[in-house]
Amino acid sequence: MSEYDVINSRLSRLDTPDKATGRALFIDDISFSNMLYGAILQSPLPHAGIINIDTSAAEKLPGVKAVITAKDVGTVKYGVSPARYDETLFCQDKVRYVGDEIAAVAAVDQATAQEAVSLIKVDYEELPAVLSVEEALAEGAPQLHAEYPGNYTAQVHQEFGDVKAGFEICDLIKSSTFVNKRQDAAFIEPPGCVAVFDLHGALTLYSSTQVPHYVQRTVAMVTGLPVGKVRVLKPYVGGGFGIKASANANELAACFLSMKTGRPVKMNLSREQVFKLCRARHQFLHKMTTGVKKDGTLVSLEHECYLDGGAYSSFGIATVYYAGSLLGGPYKLQNMKYDGYRVYNNKPPCGAQRGHGGVAARAAWEQQLDMIAEELGMDPFDLRLKNMMQAGDVTCNDLNMSSLGMEECLQTVQDGSEWKKKKGRLPKGKGIGMACGFFVSGAGYPIYRSDTYHCTAIVKLAEDGGLAQVYTASAEIGQGSDTAFGMIAAEALGVPLSDVRVMSGDTDMGVDLGAYSSRQTLMTGHAVKEAAEDVKHQVLEVLSKELSVPVQDMSIKKGRVVFHRQEPDFSELRTRYIKEHRGWTDNPKDEPLTFREASRIAYLARGSIVGTGKYKPHELGGKYKGAAVGTSPAYGCSAQVVEVEVDLETGQIRIEKMTDAHDCGLAINKTSVEGQMEGSLSMGLGEAMFEEVKFDARGRVINADLAEYKIPTAVDMPPIETIVVESNEPNGPFGAKEVGEGAIMPTIPAILNAVYDAVGVRIFELPLTPERIYTAVQDYHERQKAS
Amino acid sequence: MLLPKFEYDEPRSIEEACETLRTFGETVKPLAGGTDLMVNMKKGVVRPSRVLSLKKLKTCNRIEKLDATIRIGACTLVAELIQNQVIADTLPALQAGAKALGSPLIRNLATIGGNICSARPAADLPPALLVYGARVVLHSQQGPRTVLLKDFFKGPGQTVLRGDELLTAIELDRPPANSGAGYLNLGIRKVQDIDIINGAAYLALNPRDGTIEKVRVALGAVAPTPIRASLAEQALQGQKPSQDLFVQAGQAAQQDCTPITDFRGGAAYRKAMTSVLVRRVLETALKQIEK
Amino acid sequence: MKRIIHIRVNEQEYELAVEPNLTLADLLRDELGLTGTKKGCEMGDCGSCTVILDGRNVNSCLILAIQANGSSVQTIEGLETEAGLHPLQQAFVEKGAIQCGFCSSGMILSGKTLLDSNPNPGEQEIREAISGNLCRCTGYQKIVEAVADAGSDYQKGQGGE
Repeated sequence: MSEYDVINSRLSRLDTPDKATGRALFIDDISFSNMLYGAILQSPLPHAGIINIDTSAAEKLPGVKAVITAKDVGTVKYGVSPARYDETLFCQDKVRYVGDEIAAVAAVDQATAQEAVSLIKVDYEELPAVLSVEEALAEGAPQLHAEYPGNYTAQVHQEFGDVKAGFEICDLIKSSTFVNKRQDAAFIEPPGCVAVFDLHGALTLYSSTQVPHYVQRTVAMVTGLPVGKVRVLKPYVGGGFGIKASANANELAACFLSMKTGRPVKMNLSREQVFKLCRARHQFLHKMTTGVKKDGTLVSLEHECYLDGGAYSSFGIATVYYAGSLLGGPYKLQNMKYDGYRVYNNKPPCGAQRGHGGVAARAAWEQQLDMIAEELGMDPFDLRLKNMMQAGDVTCNDLNMSSLGMEECLQTVQDGSEWKKKKGRLPKGKGIGMACGFFVSGAGYPIYRSDTYHCTAIVKLAEDGGLAQVYTASAEIGQGSDTAFGMIAAEALGVPLSDVRVMSGDTDMGVDLGAYSSRQTLMTGHAVKEAAEDVKHQVLEVLSKELSVPVQDMSIKKGRVVFHRQEPDFSELRTRYIKEHRGWTDNPKDEPLTFREASRIAYLARGSIVGTGKYKPHELGGKYKGAAVGTSPAYGCSAQVVEVEVDLETGQIRIEKMTDAHDCGLAINKTSVEGQMEGSLSMGLGEAMFEEVKFDARGRVINADLAEYKIPTAVDMPPIETIVVESNEPNGPFGAKEVGEGAIMPTIPAILNAVYDAVGVRIFELPLTPERIYTAVQDYHERQKAS
Repeated sequence: MLLPKFEYDEPRSIEEACETLRTFGETVKPLAGGTDLMVNMKKGVVRPSRVLSLKKLKTCNRIEKLDATIRIGACTLVAELIQNQVIADTLPALQAGAKALGSPLIRNLATIGGNICSARPAADLPPALLVYGARVVLHSQQGPRTVLLKDFFKGPGQTVLRGDELLTAIELDRPPANSGAGYLNLGIRKVQDIDIINGAAYLALNPRDGTIEKVRVALGAVAPTPIRASLAEQALQGQKPSQDLFVQAGQAAQQDCTPITDFRGGAAYRKAMTSVLVRRVLETALKQIEK
Repeated sequence: MKRIIHIRVNEQEYELAVEPNLTLADLLRDELGLTGTKKGCEMGDCGSCTVILDGRNVNSCLILAIQANGSSVQTIEGLETEAGLHPLQQAFVEKGAIQCGFCSSGMILSGKTLLDSNPNPGEQEIREAISGNLCRCTGYQKIVEAVADAGSDYQKGQGGE
């Protein structure tokens, strides 16, 4: 039995009854009277100078209320990281990808807005375009940004330990190259927003975002409004996965259009636009060389990586750092060298997606470790166990594994999958593979350099004490954070979850950096816990005075006041409470003193009982350049086993089973933890097997829909066994840490390793389409024959 | 995604529908399940000024088992092809094709006529229909004409259907005893996919000596239209079925196809898979006879 | 030009004037305020706009409202009864089969059409029945479990109509 009353359980989520019945409101379900509809004009060319923009025909179209271009909104640069603000809302003198924004229109309805967009006449002077890393880095290549020569968004050069010296003592050195493909987040809800500029000069933006706070700051910066005059609210959000984690042009355009017209403006993205405008996973090319001793001890890793970035930075600087730093663990590795390059080109920009920057790197390395294990004659589990870090260990790049249930994860998936019975004993065409991975539990630093708190929380008691209201600016985007915070507040306060109401996603409720980098449970959780404890303390202080019992001799549990020593006579308090509630039929009689009574008495004594909480990470390790990316108060980790069957004649893979164990610290809500694991595995499986955003020679996305861009269906997913491994994370609230992203880390390499086990050929390129498998096997046989 | 404006007609008879087609010509588009037309209209690929809904054409909704033939109304839902007992009993390869088409949601809207008329090279129903020797009934104001399905397709999205004609029914001879057929498709995902290649085969054996008396092999996504694999058929005709024979037929089928490389798959892979697929559908067909 | 249609939505009769180019999804959402029907792709690829039309689950983004003239439509809002949530809705809540919730309406309605004809489906049948409804959050695991669970309730006679 759990020592807790609320958390560490499987309570039903607070939001799901509304979602199961169609009551839950998402962005496109929100409308205002007198609302206008916006539409954006996007570049049809990958690279071109803008000679002239003529909006006169659009402006004359009946029903059009505003047409805006860079001339109207200015050219304030924005982006994700202040170190690379390289975008303006609208292009002024040149466009850099097919989809780059040029103008926007607000009109009385969608059809008119779209027609008006088609009437805007732009004269372009086409420029040569670069559509790949190779083209962008070629001698004399066209340059995208004058400020960032060579088409480099960012370069990283790091070395920890002495890699070269390390290689000298190695018995085996293995090199391989690996490439994934650009992945789209394919959340089912396309982003949208409604901007409402009011008569007091304040702007309210409703948006399908993961990060109300960052959107608020960006909108304020670009529009010139004070932060206090910009309020950002998110309704329910239909998935984000990292792509809704920064302000987008759609949101900014809606704000300007509302400011210009004085009317609410709604702007939705179509599915096709999602593929152009939304910044999803990069294509990474990894070259890795790992050196080991013959007993399997890892010694050195030399790593080079090229990111196919697209036209703007977006999250790119963080991404290129993550691609290196997240290989620091979970294995003991003394020497690591990393050279990373994030490269601009004339395709839509890429950004952050689940497992930010680390997924392809992890896939490349875990596959290489499997190759090493095979060559050393070691079981892949044994190689990993041999090198596994322990809780409290610090990586060569200063990541502190304050808790690490990796060994237990390995043990449970090994047993759960019956690995020992299967490995090496499966018939031809069947295979089993495994891998490990880990991820940050919240970025250690905000995206903009600041000493800000990462989150604040307020817990307020209703005046009758029957309800605790939790206010945060955090973002429930489907992961279950509202429920987690309700449970944390209820636990900390000592009341049942039904006595807690959670409000979130509104910048008026405080500061919260939002739902990205798997940060909310740990960070917002801390703030909520602190606020709830504050409220409890305030109530107990009043009780202490009234009953002459020291605060430390009382607590609240399951909605009742618990007296640790002798129970005092509280009948006078009860009488007062009942007097306040004449006519009520549910007044307390003989039961112990209730929290409801206590908090009513506290309210009478002090007025509103409001508790506050806040959190920012303690000083984290790493003083080197780029140390801010990868350091975190805690790390969640995962081990996974995948079983596959490959049709050797066609190359078709059937994933038969996936077993995943994840250490999430203490699980606040076990069902939600499993849900994050299952979702991670599914997204990983999609990237491994099917997903690839494809372009034509003119830089246009060929498969900008969910028919040709293929995410897993229910039939493509195998049964998933999830095993929740719990450690006690010293830096987490109640010992909790992340689960949202760590679980995707081992998925791709576990599949790669299983496919190798089945077909005997290593594949170094994703996705694992039947054609790729078939061709690789054929080539291998040809080579065998030749030699 | 907005649909452009158009006029809407819902004729109650084939004659009425044909009259509208004749009057408005190329500017009118028949609307059956809409799974293609609606998407293309939203994308702006087609912009009809008039849409002709076939919903009320009751005679086009039935599956009829006649003495020697089976007649499938063009507006029969793909889902109905899966559920219908006549299809399950007599045309299992067609049922298999129907099961492979789209998703349950799509199959509840898409029609057999629509799947034929959209003339996609990778469509799931034509290969099975081709191996059953299907004929399509095309109606105009002049009355009906019947065309062999193998002569119906002209190219991607192109058929012999005239602007004033409506496909109203598909007719198939009831396969004799001693016959069997199969359909298979190969895609990236397990369902809801546009096939990289698909194919069907039909075999009828001579009851006396067990040789192949009648054979049809059809392939999709390996040519501009669904095709009959005549070289494969020649290799099989009159022979005794065997594993080796099916392998040979599969190899011969490679010469029947002219696949292209596009973003969905490479020509070489498609060609290689032709052999595998043909061999496997022949095995399925033979198994059915043996059942 | 607008035309008059008669349509039954969640047991309620409506007489409505619609433009021919209005989709059923937009009719439900914009004209009737039934925003539980979601629009995820508007191309028939994702299933978030699933409704039950005359007993069949379909993508309402691919149907003209005018084509639904004379038809009966059930949306997610039509599943609850005075007794509370439909067994499928209840199972989705209890099993944790809902994360972001954007696919849930369609997923539940596809589950319902399956259970209405087969209250005891196998795992593979469930997966196939919901294969036109994409979900990016759950990996489908808990959705499959929820449909199976609700099926047991159906058999106990708590579900169905």
